[in-house]
Amino acid sequence: MAQKQKTDRREFLKKGLSLGLAAGGAVILGKTDFLQAKETAKSQPDLVAVKNGEPDAMFKKAMSLMGGMGQFIKKGQTVAVKPNIGFPRKPEVGATTNPILIKAIIESCYQAGAKKVYVFDNVVTPTSGNAKNCYQLSGIEDAARSARGIIVPVDDFSYQEVTIPGAKTLKTADVHRLILDADVFINVPVLKHHSSTHLSIAMKNLMGIVKNRMKYHLIGLDQCIADFCLYKKPDLNIVDAYRVLMSDGPDGPRDAKDADVQLKKTLLMSRDIVAVDAAATKIFGKNPEDIGYIKIGHQQKTGNMNLNELKIVTYSM
Amino acid sequence: MNPVRIRIAVSLLVISLFLFLFCGGEKISSYLSFILLPFQFVPALIRALTNPAVIFIIGLISIFVVTLIFGRVYCSFLCPLGIFQDIFIALSNKIGWRRKHSFQKPRDLLRYSILGLIIITVALGSMSLVNIFDPYSIFGRIITQFVLPFFLWIYNVVVNGMKYFHVYLYSKDTVPVVMSALFINLSFLILIVTLSLRHGRLYCNSICPVGTLLGLISRLSFFKFAIDKTGCNACLNCVTVCKAGCIDTQNAVIDQSRCVGCFNCLDVCPQSVVSYCPAVKNREGETWSPARRGLIIGGVAAAGSALLMITSGIRNLLRPVHAAAAQPITPPGSISRDHFTQACSACHLCVSVCPTKVITPSFLDYGMSGLLQPLMNYPESFCEYECNLCGRVCPTGAILPLSMEEKQITQIGEVDLLKDKCVVYINHQNCGACVEVCPTKTITFVNRANILYPVVDNQYCIGCGACSKACPTDPKSIIVKPNAVHKKAVKSLTKDTPIQQKSAIPQDFPF
Repeated sequence: MAQKQKTDRREFLKKGLSLGLAAGGAVILGKTDFLQAKETAKSQPDLVAVKNGEPDAMFKKAMSLMGGMGQFIKKGQTVAVKPNIGFPRKPEVGATTNPILIKAIIESCYQAGAKKVYVFDNVVTPTSGNAKNCYQLSGIEDAARSARGIIVPVDDFSYQEVTIPGAKTLKTADVHRLILDADVFINVPVLKHHSSTHLSIAMKNLMGIVKNRMKYHLIGLDQCIADFCLYKKPDLNIVDAYRVLMSDGPDGPRDAKDADVQLKKTLLMSRDIVAVDAAATKIFGKNPEDIGYIKIGHQQKTGNMNLNELKIVTYSM
Repeated sequence: MNPVRIRIAVSLLVISLFLFLFCGGEKISSYLSFILLPFQFVPALIRALTNPAVIFIIGLISIFVVTLIFGRVYCSFLCPLGIFQDIFIALSNKIGWRRKHSFQKPRDLLRYSILGLIIITVALGSMSLVNIFDPYSIFGRIITQFVLPFFLWIYNVVVNGMKYFHVYLYSKDTVPVVMSALFINLSFLILIVTLSLRHGRLYCNSICPVGTLLGLISRLSFFKFAIDKTGCNACLNCVTVCKAGCIDTQNAVIDQSRCVGCFNCLDVCPQSVVSYCPAVKNREGETWSPARRGLIIGGVAAAGSALLMITSGIRNLLRPVHAAAAQPITPPGSISRDHFTQACSACHLCVSVCPTKVITPSFLDYGMSGLLQPLMNYPESFCEYECNLCGRVCPTGAILPLSMEEKQITQIGEVDLLKDKCVVYINHQNCGACVEVCPTKTITFVNRANILYPVVDNQYCIGCGACSKACPTDPKSIIVKPNAVHKKAVKSLTKDTPIQQKSAIPQDFPF
């Protein structure tokens, strides 16, 4: 009890101080709308978790708990939605992001006034994996199209090299222009088992916006995954944990009936990519400390993996 | 009905179907190959001799029968390279490069020695000369190396351009360029185009072995072209339109062995003295003797080649020893390297249709005996696990059709994990690129101190090369070693019925 009070007081002090600074700064810069935005942000949770619903319903609930899509998208902006479409698998295998969720996200983006919503992934090629197979089999192409999302098959010509400040291993990377050009970047990974990194969630999903993902494998997966987040953090991370592939990841079996899938019917949402990964890891039944890139991401101050330090809102449908 | 019109209509239809065969994608290609290729002479002959299938034997017999009745109409109606040349001949007429053809002396020594040489080399177990001279295969290679890439290039340029209008389409992979094979094919393209522009169907009459062989048969054909000397006013109209250069007006003789049956001469004769009718009345006279000679030569040659084709023991004994230390890997369905090299006519249809473009033209990789025959281009690409298209389109039986289940356990090679190059073994850091992409569970992990080391169990391996393609090291740490004779792999069974789609909604959130 005493412990609790202590954290509360510390938090109060911290927030008050930061709010004061923000307000002061805003007044100096003359941006009062920013001040108001911060005011609402204060009440916003760091992480929202919803369970026991369908993907689109859980998304809508989580988004309302988060404060609405208007928090992230201003009228006329372009949005890049990055699901995991890495493998040519049906949604039932759990290796790709749920198409129903993608559709709901795109609709919500347009409702918030987005001008264009792009959907794409850099697929893992030597696995029946041309973009066409992956996009179509995963159901994401149809889902995105039906919500007026622009589905983009990536090719080698649309990347631009960037340097990553403070990176230990991955000093440079070729990033897809859609990510560089879009005003808002929404990361929509699926939570699944991964043979080489234990789990694939939000941080790992960013491997699909660089050109040469095999370089990560060569020079150290965990460090590279964490390093990339020093360059770019998504504006919002939405983790699909509706169907969770518990083994045989990242691709899962070709036939959905062989898939070791658990229906966890959960959805997580956060601005903090490390926090959302940590929470998803717990949903999966593992400890965030044991996942290399989450730990490194926390150490490199990309985000906070200590969930007890965060304001988490949960909801069961 | 004007026979020339019919010929033009049929031949244009045939060549467009051939274009679709090579460029039309999976469904069109496999369907058209079944319709078109049994009626191509060399593929049908190879198939009938090596892996007889009813439709190919029917095709072969019908080519013989049609030639016996109508002469070498095959060359004008069905042969894609013949039609290809006709297009250039028509073009050169239009632009005025060459308006008039003239009578040419037969080049008997050249054409019969090429045919003879081909029969001998085939008997010795080398397909090289057939591959170089077979008209269908030449046509196939020209399409694969020049026409298809051109279409794809245009398509991809359009796809790329559309991006600026925010329309995003799937681009297509192009056939990798093998310079040496490209050089040979380019030489043949230039040779054939120049010959056709300057000399009409000279290739068909002096070089093409199929033309020579069918020419021998057509000497005996029931219908023949003939000139009635009495009514002829020597206007030479027929000579100027004869692409084959086989009308000798001085002696009023039409060389049946070189006539490609285009019907142009019938069309233009103002006196209607050029006729195409049963040849009974022409039986007497000097044309009879060469015909019999031709039949004897042809019969002996055909019998000899057939005999030697089936006595593979002799062929294996005489077959030139393969060169090169690194042996090529042959596509699934080709049974063994020997089977493949002795049945492939290098038409490159498989190269055209392969979705991952792993099947690539080669030059000398199979040694002198297998010039231009395609190989599996590892690690540039990999063999798609859920694809058996090459076997479905191959006309000669070099790649036999496999059901999807058979293909997925056909081991064309085995992998070799080079632990002295693999980053996991050297740096003790996780990689797992090969494990991610292996479709057969050949590569699995062994966990030592939370580092996942890949290990290989080759009994499951089918040699698809996905691991090698995915491997990030340079040079590759995992490579496919060829199986000279393909084997059967063990199908890795999935775990004993996993709990499927188990509902596991968390009772409480674990945070």
